[in-house]
Amino acid sequence: MSAGTVPAVIEPSAATLPTPAKRRRTSGRAGVDVSTVVVVSVVVLLLGLMIVYPLGMIFAQAFSQSGWEVVTSMFTSAVNRGIVANTLVLGTVVGALGTLLGFVLAYIQVMVDFRGKKIFHLICLLPVVSPPFAVATAIITLLGRRGIITYGIFGAQTNIYGLPGLTLVLVLSFFPVAYMTFKGMLENLDPALEEASENLGGSKWQTFWKVIIPMLVPGFAASFLLLFVEAIADLANPLVIGGDFTVLASRAFIAITGEYDTAAGSAYSLILLLPAVLVFVIQQYWVSRKSTISVTGKPAGQRRLLTNPSGRVPLLVFAGLVGLVIVGIYATVLIGAFVKILGVNNEFTLDNFRYVLSGIGNEAIIDTTVLALIATPIAGLLGMVIAWLVVRRLRHGSAWLDFLGMLGLAVPGTVVGIGYAIAFNQPLIIGNRMFLPALGGGAAILGGAAAIVMVYTIRSLPSGQRAGIAALRQIDPSIDEASASLGATGVTTFRTITLPLIRPAFLSGLIYAFARSMTTLSPIIFITTPETRIMTKQILAEVDAGRFGNAFAFCTLLLAIVVTVMGLLSLIVRGNPAGRNSVGAAQ
Amino acid sequence: MLPRVTKETHMKRTRTIRIAAAAAALSLGLAGCAVEEGQQGGSDKLTVACGAMEEVCDAWTKAFQAKTGIPTSFVRLSSGETVARLGAAKASPEFDVWHGGPADGFGAAVEQDLIEKFVPEEAAKIPDKYKDPNGYWAGVYVGALGFCSNTKVLDELGLDVPDSWEDLLDPKLKSQVSTAHPSTSGTAFTTLWTQVTRLGSEDAGLDYMKKMHSNVLQYTKSGTAPGQVAGRGEVAVGLVFSHDCVLYKERGMTDLEVSFPKEGTGYEVGGVAVIKNARNMDAAKQYVNWALTAEAQNIGPTVGSYQVHTNPEAASDPRMVTLSDIKLVDYDFAKAAAAKKELTARFDAEIAAQPKE
Repeated sequence: MSAGTVPAVIEPSAATLPTPAKRRRTSGRAGVDVSTVVVVSVVVLLLGLMIVYPLGMIFAQAFSQSGWEVVTSMFTSAVNRGIVANTLVLGTVVGALGTLLGFVLAYIQVMVDFRGKKIFHLICLLPVVSPPFAVATAIITLLGRRGIITYGIFGAQTNIYGLPGLTLVLVLSFFPVAYMTFKGMLENLDPALEEASENLGGSKWQTFWKVIIPMLVPGFAASFLLLFVEAIADLANPLVIGGDFTVLASRAFIAITGEYDTAAGSAYSLILLLPAVLVFVIQQYWVSRKSTISVTGKPAGQRRLLTNPSGRVPLLVFAGLVGLVIVGIYATVLIGAFVKILGVNNEFTLDNFRYVLSGIGNEAIIDTTVLALIATPIAGLLGMVIAWLVVRRLRHGSAWLDFLGMLGLAVPGTVVGIGYAIAFNQPLIIGNRMFLPALGGGAAILGGAAAIVMVYTIRSLPSGQRAGIAALRQIDPSIDEASASLGATGVTTFRTITLPLIRPAFLSGLIYAFARSMTTLSPIIFITTPETRIMTKQILAEVDAGRFGNAFAFCTLLLAIVVTVMGLLSLIVRGNPAGRNSVGAAQ
Repeated sequence: MLPRVTKETHMKRTRTIRIAAAAAALSLGLAGCAVEEGQQGGSDKLTVACGAMEEVCDAWTKAFQAKTGIPTSFVRLSSGETVARLGAAKASPEFDVWHGGPADGFGAAVEQDLIEKFVPEEAAKIPDKYKDPNGYWAGVYVGALGFCSNTKVLDELGLDVPDSWEDLLDPKLKSQVSTAHPSTSGTAFTTLWTQVTRLGSEDAGLDYMKKMHSNVLQYTKSGTAPGQVAGRGEVAVGLVFSHDCVLYKERGMTDLEVSFPKEGTGYEVGGVAVIKNARNMDAAKQYVNWALTAEAQNIGPTVGSYQVHTNPEAASDPRMVTLSDIKLVDYDFAKAAAAKKELTARFDAEIAAQPKE
């Protein structure tokens, strides 16, 4: 560390339009100081413990003999090649459609003039909470072979199983991440940009393509990557609605639970990592070549909303349709909770709630909520800190850190779960000294709760991290530099400057972390203990026992809890006026 | 100004190193506690990995605790999950007993050396075909594979309730049969092996499955799902263990009806075993012996588990199938387990991947 690492030149922060990448490259990252070193060490240590160690333990198995046979069979076996192709198709389709849907809805929300924005926002956020089984089953009930809509109204015996149903469920479940990312970015766009474009004679259309879209490139890249990774690693939906359409995640699950072959399961997961890495590398390369700074700390004007009917009407009709589908699905879950078996026996009953609110059900609700509440701030903050380190602080290794943070999501939950079982179900003893007590499983400290919190954290941190990275890439580094030149340390800058600026991304990170923790299933199966009852696992048990009413009742309660916590989080995090305005007002 | 900056950075660097060193020392000091003697030793509690349905697991463990006073708890897991978890921590297993779940899972666990050989006193009462010849596990229940039909859908198609494997090949049943995939579900593998057994060879068994393929709507991942798919009316017939069909009917899918193929059907045996290196070995053995008693087996039907008891002294229930009324194939569990990997791979390549006519 020489004097050279202290920002040498503080550039005037006049550039609000996209500027050459070179400028950001050279002065975008503030000097490395003590606090940053400490933060980096802590983050790396945490990620190492929570992700690298358990995954390392399980991937070691992929290189055992039987595991390696599976890896090589990816090239030799037609069946396995088909599975790899299915996985790629699913990831690409869901990534593209989900990103597009999220963008269009966010654009409507921010740019188009209409009443009921708050309600529409809530509807768009609703699918963040998609308990395993609920959305897929609701869609089967509505649109399946005997679907209430398809068969009941149109008399059609549609086959929803396979790629179409899977795409529908996954796009609906995952698009809110894209929506939240784009909403934050669009709100941060300085309306002066649009005005400038229009003053120069650009039409709304030209402004859209040549000014707005280029500014959102990091958002598109981040959403696509996240949705791609989520789609290919998702397990519950391919199991329920995937039908004959087998993907790597479900194949890995089958290997472990159906064939008793953990090594083969690890091998399939290792293969699953390749497309994730590839998309990641492409995204890194593509985005790093563009700069899309739009938050400069300068005051911004008022946005003029789109009121022209030729654009507004089709957009609003589309938004209305999507809203209707989402409301329809969740209404199905809700109604399902109050009848015996939805679509089969529609007799009204309150027994479902009576059952889930007593005994094991009640324990599960409390345990799951408490553990998720512990994991949420850890995941949210960790995601933001990683984003900040990646975009602002680290010169070398930022891509590595970014990737490490994403790993917890890029690997199917089953594999994460077994990795945790291998790594943490017994104490870590080296020589004669115990470095870690058993954290997971029946013999662990705290009844195995620590491992569950850790799993929740690593599964939910990537979405916050991606939202944070996208948001930070919009913010002019000169704001950081100004803070640094006034003597603030890296951590102070993060706390007082960066965090307020990326508050929307932080909020969406927190919300998503909580919702995801509450709905995580596959890794949990391998680390639950008699002391920790988890709701998603109870839902599965109820489905297995044929009590669909109870399963829907659990889902309804889960939804209610998440929505309540989402509301509270919004109140806490949004306590102050939005970041951009407060910076603007300070000038 | 410049020298001051340099000095400051230099100080910062030394401080960084100091902080890092202190942090490292602290974490090592805190974490590296000496291992106490006997820490890995016994426990007075009993933890059961339970492969049956949640309610019966709950009832079993509570009854055992009430009888013996040994604090007993359970985690509900499928057999694959149990094997994976036990395999992950062989030296210090988190479970003492494995209760419920199909015999092929127990077979896989024996192969991976996860189960303690133990023949309890009560096992003498259990018929030989329902227990492991080498004494690793004994059967607590038997379930017979059956046809779970939706009578409403069959009426629409103008078909009777099937009572033969040949009935499932009827072209009128195109996309009207639901069965699970043999690699994902023990139930579906039982279906496959039943064909192999009754038709005399693996080729003939696969040939039958190939013929059924065009009538199969989809191969579900879960073994119980076909009963639910039939219950919702999405298909006419689901292939499941008959007790699951009875349960779904009782839980509200009232159009369902159970029938059995006259050529003979396969069955599963649910096992119980002591886990190797169990922390509470004495209690585990006591539990396994108790699980085989008529008293323990009688709990099942009270909480919706209608599998047939293996203990002849246990009371039968009208909702259970009477095994003497149906024809069972001569199911060789050891042979089935040995053939499983290759057979399911053939199923994947020769059948599941093929287009449906």
